[in-house]
Amino acid sequence: MKISYKHLVERIKDKPNIQDLSNKLLQLGHEHEIDGDIFDIELTPNRGDCLSINGLLRDLNLFYCINDSVKLFQNNFNKFNFDFTNNAKKDCPKISFLKIQIEEIPESYNQEMESYFSELSLKKNNFFTDVSNYISYETGQPTHCYEASKISDGIRLEYLKSNQSFKTLHDKSIELKEGDLVFINKNNEVINLAGIIGGESTSCKKNTNYVIVECAYFNPEAITGKAIKFALQSEAAHKFERGVDPSCHEYVFRRFIQIIEEHTNITNIEMFSETYSKFKRNTVQFCDQSINKILGTKLSKEECEKYLKNLGFSINEMMINIPSFRHDISSENDIAEEIARALGYNNIEQKSLDFFSFDKKNVVSTSEINLKNLLIDNGFNEVINDPFTAIKEKTSIEIDNPLDINRRYMRTNLKNSLLDNLIYNEKRQQDSIKLFEISDVYKKSLSPKKRLIGIIISGRVDKNHQDFTKKLDTKYLSNILNVSDINSSDLKYEVISRTNIDTQSKNIITYLEIELGDSFVCNYLTDTPKQNKIDITYIPISSFPSSTRDLSYAVKEFSNCKPLQDYILNFSHELLKESYIFDYFYNKKNDEIKIGFRLVFQSKISTITEAQVNELIGIILEETKKLSGISIPGLK
Amino acid sequence: MSSVKDINSPRVVRTIGSIHPINQTKDYIMDSLSMMGFEIIDGPELETEEYNFDMLNIKHSHPARQMHDTFYVNNKSSLLRTHTSPVQVRGMLEKKPPLAFISGGKVYRKDDDATHLPMFHQIEGIYVSKDVNFSNLKYLIYKIVFMLFGKETKIRFRPSYFPFTEPSAEVDILSEDGKWLEILGCGIVNPIVLNNCKIDSNKFSGLAFGLGVERIAMLKYGVNDIRDFYKSNLDFLKQF
Repeated sequence: MKISYKHLVERIKDKPNIQDLSNKLLQLGHEHEIDGDIFDIELTPNRGDCLSINGLLRDLNLFYCINDSVKLFQNNFNKFNFDFTNNAKKDCPKISFLKIQIEEIPESYNQEMESYFSELSLKKNNFFTDVSNYISYETGQPTHCYEASKISDGIRLEYLKSNQSFKTLHDKSIELKEGDLVFINKNNEVINLAGIIGGESTSCKKNTNYVIVECAYFNPEAITGKAIKFALQSEAAHKFERGVDPSCHEYVFRRFIQIIEEHTNITNIEMFSETYSKFKRNTVQFCDQSINKILGTKLSKEECEKYLKNLGFSINEMMINIPSFRHDISSENDIAEEIARALGYNNIEQKSLDFFSFDKKNVVSTSEINLKNLLIDNGFNEVINDPFTAIKEKTSIEIDNPLDINRRYMRTNLKNSLLDNLIYNEKRQQDSIKLFEISDVYKKSLSPKKRLIGIIISGRVDKNHQDFTKKLDTKYLSNILNVSDINSSDLKYEVISRTNIDTQSKNIITYLEIELGDSFVCNYLTDTPKQNKIDITYIPISSFPSSTRDLSYAVKEFSNCKPLQDYILNFSHELLKESYIFDYFYNKKNDEIKIGFRLVFQSKISTITEAQVNELIGIILEETKKLSGISIPGLK
Repeated sequence: MSSVKDINSPRVVRTIGSIHPINQTKDYIMDSLSMMGFEIIDGPELETEEYNFDMLNIKHSHPARQMHDTFYVNNKSSLLRTHTSPVQVRGMLEKKPPLAFISGGKVYRKDDDATHLPMFHQIEGIYVSKDVNFSNLKYLIYKIVFMLFGKETKIRFRPSYFPFTEPSAEVDILSEDGKWLEILGCGIVNPIVLNNCKIDSNKFSGLAFGLGVERIAMLKYGVNDIRDFYKSNLDFLKQF
């Protein structure tokens, strides 16, 4: 909600500066951002009463002297004999209508109205709609203006009996369904989607000088979610959803008329108001000891009373009367929160807390931790996937309201998620992929859940001269699992076909899934227990392709083997992603050592060029050529 | 006797894998809280409306219960939990106070944009005993924040709203660039929730807090886009 600092401060006698006001709003729990002179406030859903200038001022009254002498129309109203039938009294327990006719439509607005439009950069519509919008901004109560001649023979509020198209005053057509709460005219046409938006057919135009203004209290439950359902932006719905003040109708109409009167002559005013059920005013027992017990404070009764009175509460015979605009207050804890806000959460002192002993039990089994350690020690990386999938199985649970209609089932295994992860990495030139995921899965008639580990591998075993040419396959996986006393008799290794997989790789894909139930055992003990690290600074990764170069050296002077390795493996440049030795052997015939280095280059800002790679290779060659007894066969 | 090949042979460097950064963050926080004195409890991701909403004083009209916010399954007979609080409800129904539980894990909301994902991780804690109050809650929160971000961290409390706590607060920390960053929510357990869980709110009171693991991980590691955690990119994962 956008509120102008200027509009708030002109009603505050102390005239605080914007930062001071901002600090106080924050203390009250009204989180916001400041853009120039505008507060963009994100109110918590329980504070619908603060969605207006008046509402915020009621809260700010804790800290400042508020000028509440707002001008109101003072005369009596004539009775409006309006033919209105309420067939939804439960969802609309109070409604009022004001019939008002003016002599002339004003050409310009007074300073108050002009400032509202200019400060908040709002677009004007027509006189009555503009006044209605201003009143909502000032008082928090949405009103709706109908062209009087269009509904003069009466209207009904009811739940729609059959589906009907409806054109909103913003010219958007929506399909209403049976049961939607609507206002209907005598021709059984929907003229207003109750509490959300009025219809085009009865809306005010630039030349409208005779209107019927509707002011209603709708139960929040009747409005919640409706604007989103119809993809409508509705400030009225936002306010009704959070609860408006059922006692404000007359005040709102008097203010409405006052604004009209300040612009033009009024020729007729009539008012209709019906309350269909009594609004119960909440009361809470006033007990300063309870407040102090909840907050851990030592406030006096008088202090508590002062804070509450400043917030609009009254206290009679140890009972706190809750104002009609505060739907969120019904208990001593609510009252304690009001006191805490007044005091400032940051001004409440800390007090230490003792813990008690309990029997420690592991939520995650030791075997699961052991298996995880085994995989990490062997170069596997853990992934986490969401459970949504396009694949329907017999036992799949279907999401009623999926985010993506194509992924509306819950996975029953981890294979497809892991296969997607593998392909994603293959497409990013990864040639040694070892992934695993541990997750609960849910299936129909599976109570309560099944805990699984999925393991997927493809490509090289590792990036070193011993493992570079070895391929990840079932044998590799069974070898590493067999050394860890896993009860592996029923492990089902699966080789996944590449038939429908869109990558160039021809490496074998092996998958294994194990249920981590009570019978699962893994006795692997790691030499390097894993510490959870949260103090690593992540270096953003590149989304551009990498370029690989291999340098194969022939070393005759063996003492230079180590300096050669040290130089290349320690060579560092922002474009060098990784380097390792992929080949090493002693050629007895020639009495020389062959050593191959793989260098992978990648830029973070663009696709790396041949020239960039060649320049770096040139530097490495230049430096390594200085070592005696070293050559690169074939290099001119 | 060693051969020429063996003497000059390079060291075989084996790649060590990594635990997912979100799990590292989650486990670090859970372990630290456990050492503080919280008992770790666990519960299902597939929940009922009763445990996920009703028992926690989240009324039928609350926007979080709408189809546009919560994933429902099996014709609304169950849902994917929207927070880890139902685990604590189950814990409170099983055990008598005094008690101190933490639970952590995956939660689901119908969101998907640059700052929200349909699945993310939460850790929530609850402490129920005689005469615990907002001052004690502040002590606990300071302890948690200092454990995560260091003892020099500047903290502020702001009033907020959660149906299951009253009073409720959100906690911000001051970043190096002078901005306040929201890191967790907390409050005094609403007596309605205690009563729902068969705990006499006249005898006992409770403290509760909850934090988003991704949020903490992003701040700690310096990851700017929450989606990076779930792309399963090896270049990303290997850094942790």
